[in-house]
Amino acid sequence: MDVYSQGMAALAPELVLTATALIVLVADLLTKGRDSKRMGYLTLAGLAVVGGMLAMRIDQPEQTVFGMVEIDAFGTFFKLFTVASVAVVTTFVMSDRNERKHNVGEYYFLLLGASIGIFFMVSTNNLLLLMLGLELLSLASYSLAGFHKGERKSAEASMKYIVFGGLSAGLMVYGISLLYGITGTLDMSIMATQVGDVMPYGLAHQLDVSVVPVAVAMVLVLAGFAYKMSVVPFHFWTPDVYEGSPTPVTTFLAVASKAAGVAALLRFIGALFMAEGAQPVVEWYGTKIGLLLAILAAVTMTLGNLSALRQQSLKRMLAYSSIAHAGYILIGVATMSAEGFEASMYYMAAYYFMNLGAFGVLLYFESAVGSDRIEDLAGYGWKSPLISIVMVAFLVSLTGLPPTIGFYGKYLLFKAGLNHGLEWLVFVAALNSVVSLFYYFSVAKSLFLKDPSDKPKLSQPVFAGLLAGLGLLTIWFGLQPESIEQLVIRCALF
Amino acid sequence: MDHILSLITFIPLLGMGIICCLPKNAVGLIKGVSLVATGIPLILATQLWFGYDPASYDPASGVEGEYAHYFTIPWIKMIGANYTVGVDGISLPLVWLTSLLLFLGVPASFGIQKSQKAYYALLLLLEVGIFGVFISLDYFLFYVFWEVMLLPMYFLIGIWGGPRREYAAIKFFLYTLAGSVLMLIAVIALRLDSGTFSIPEMVQLAQDGMLTGANLPAAGALLGMEFHTWAFWFLFVGFAIKIPVFPFHTWLPDAHVQAPTPISVILAGILLKLGGYGLMRACFPILPGAFFENAYFLGALGAVSIVYGSFVALGQTDFKRMVAYSSVSHMGYVLLGTGALTVWGTDGAAMQMFAHGTSSAAMFMVVGVIYDRAHHRDLNGFGGLSQPMPVYWGLTTFCFFAALGLPTMSGFIAEALTLVGAFQSEDTRFQALVLFSVIGIVITAAFLLWAIQRVFLGPLNEKYKDYQDMNFREIFCMAPLLFLCLLFGVFPHLILDVMEPSISHLVDLLVAGGQ
Repeated sequence: MDVYSQGMAALAPELVLTATALIVLVADLLTKGRDSKRMGYLTLAGLAVVGGMLAMRIDQPEQTVFGMVEIDAFGTFFKLFTVASVAVVTTFVMSDRNERKHNVGEYYFLLLGASIGIFFMVSTNNLLLLMLGLELLSLASYSLAGFHKGERKSAEASMKYIVFGGLSAGLMVYGISLLYGITGTLDMSIMATQVGDVMPYGLAHQLDVSVVPVAVAMVLVLAGFAYKMSVVPFHFWTPDVYEGSPTPVTTFLAVASKAAGVAALLRFIGALFMAEGAQPVVEWYGTKIGLLLAILAAVTMTLGNLSALRQQSLKRMLAYSSIAHAGYILIGVATMSAEGFEASMYYMAAYYFMNLGAFGVLLYFESAVGSDRIEDLAGYGWKSPLISIVMVAFLVSLTGLPPTIGFYGKYLLFKAGLNHGLEWLVFVAALNSVVSLFYYFSVAKSLFLKDPSDKPKLSQPVFAGLLAGLGLLTIWFGLQPESIEQLVIRCALF
Repeated sequence: MDHILSLITFIPLLGMGIICCLPKNAVGLIKGVSLVATGIPLILATQLWFGYDPASYDPASGVEGEYAHYFTIPWIKMIGANYTVGVDGISLPLVWLTSLLLFLGVPASFGIQKSQKAYYALLLLLEVGIFGVFISLDYFLFYVFWEVMLLPMYFLIGIWGGPRREYAAIKFFLYTLAGSVLMLIAVIALRLDSGTFSIPEMVQLAQDGMLTGANLPAAGALLGMEFHTWAFWFLFVGFAIKIPVFPFHTWLPDAHVQAPTPISVILAGILLKLGGYGLMRACFPILPGAFFENAYFLGALGAVSIVYGSFVALGQTDFKRMVAYSSVSHMGYVLLGTGALTVWGTDGAAMQMFAHGTSSAAMFMVVGVIYDRAHHRDLNGFGGLSQPMPVYWGLTTFCFFAALGLPTMSGFIAEALTLVGAFQSEDTRFQALVLFSVIGIVITAAFLLWAIQRVFLGPLNEKYKDYQDMNFREIFCMAPLLFLCLLFGVFPHLILDVMEPSISHLVDLLVAGGQ
């Protein structure tokens, strides 16, 4: 086989995903958007095929395709994560009564398009391709956020998202251009090891001369990641966009899109500062970046949690909670260690179960009760017991209490922090989880502690089984976390 | 292979599973299942007590000699967490007390009408958590059970509690969680330093002077504090909130007053003991150096709790609030006795946990009996109740005498041992603490006797003349507790013999490790 066919074979999951997206788009056009249910099944089928292909190649040797795309286990982990999240989001769309009136075929097409963006974003060392993947994801997300065309809130969300997205993309591209100027390459995997004896001199040489250009470039590039992950101070779009977007889109933004940001950040930091054979001065500078990330982590989780305290709307509260969780995830990155990176990846897996679950419950109550205000849920725990008990499991996990996957994720993050001299950050994070208990349990309080007598009994949602499954896994992986931890270690960067 | 401890712990979980499958109007069946699911652990725990041979206690021969029914299997291998359980003389009486109070808690709850299925399911889940903490010898397992307890307690107070139940429930949850996240940091740091989660192994490492934070970056210093100092205080605060020790006690009056009677009984009878037990099992012997340095301060905190709690109780007009503050006062002895670092003092502390577990549980039942009839708890609103309710009067007086430590009651033995033990302490400053604590004893007698006077004596309030005396169910729930107060007051060796070897060993560890 020639290089070209080999490369295409390695990109088979991406190709299948693209084909699915196109088929869904064309089929939707041909049926004039009347057969949206079938489009959903088509999407799920495509995702299942992609998921199967990805699962089979976790342990295969790494390879670089066309000098740009890295096919490795780390990327595969986040691709699987994306496929699994989009599958759940698709199920949400299919069972969401509010969505019927719109052209749902395009919805699936955009979700799949965003996934393709994520696929390339998480599996490249080339900053240009990373940027392209990120932009593809962003463009699809802007349209998705505004999908409820007639609604003011949705349009506003889309607009805000575009403005903030454009700003941070601009900053990031400028940062990348500075890095290119310093190192003469867009491949981040060789930046750390460059020896400065010929032009361009490279990162190490530049750091010896002056750290300022590197610092500026780093801050600008990190801004792009911070925006995708909703890390302070690039979080401002999050509450409004999350609130205004259709709930399945919010779910996608909170889970898959954030994970893509985390993956790209891990790869970037790992390649730049923790590479084998990195110049000593680069490693030294890495510790400074680690400190910056630690401070960002502390500020992000604290601000996210404190803002979540005052929210009346469950959707907005979950938006702030997702900011706080971005802070927790950063603990692992800030340790600048393989252990910390694995902890962050594990926490993403935990985040998957508990957040998809919580957003699913939100979606259910939005359509059943017609409101996402926490006080309007009063007493419904007794009227819809299965969903509400499962919700308590998600809330416990989000708070980080045993026996749930969220606890084990926090345990790993705290352990990594304590092991790498970030005791103060672990202390801040621990206090934050106490704060978070208050607002998470305001939901449990509303569901179960209020008088249910005047409330009608609610029907079970179509996806009750899915939510119950997520709830059971949240607890099961809290008691038996090893299978996921092993997967994370198999897929770790180092 | 010895599964009796696991059976005791997980039979209630099985019961909870069965209850969840029952239809919610099968109330009789639900109550029956709850009785069986709490009754079997009681029988097994009784068997455990009678089968326990203190003479076989031999810490020199390793964990198998130190802990009866020791059992361990790997759980989460990647982090080295094991499912390790075992009991010794300190935990055994508390395991038994737990099984008894939870069993009595079921008939005591028969009066509850609201969502009974959920209530009994949560009660059984609570029992699992409590048993788990008392039998765990692995710090990870211990922590998991410790937190599992919080959730059912939150709902039990929050759903079935009094008018301010939402506030009380979240306050209880937040306070306890604040303590336990600090605990979690200390546990992870200890794990990183020692390389094990096993509590006995950590204790052994501490004896060998190995647990100093040397394996952590910057020797484990946090915000300028040395490793053993902050780890000790983090663990201590986690447990002290549960006891609760002044100044961490403010959640307790709210939680107690708002909780329904059976939950108050369990809260006072057992949950507070978890704090004292945690200190003796998983804090002091693991960081004996820091404990030794701060022993006097801890003793002083205990003494302040004794006196402060009793004075605040004296000022209450709410019957239940008074009883709640008496718990703060009584649990102060645990810290005072342990801080003295003498065998007698620590014996007294351990015995006080058991004695208070029976007497305070009975006191909350006393409050429940009158609240069920009068629907208020204002001490000044009663009067002359001895006429319509003579049995109630008699049992209440018995119960209050047990609580104030009258000779022939277990509380007397416990308090006397604690005070004598504290007086014997090599640190002579403890003598001053003993003298100070005596104020607490006097005030305790005062508020209890004054309460009896206000409720039962004086002219009969006309509103109350038709009140029924205690019924069989109420007597059935209270009588065993009062019997135990008397039994261990007259024959204290029945319980002291069980505890003595483990306590002596604990004190040896603390003294040897601290020097």
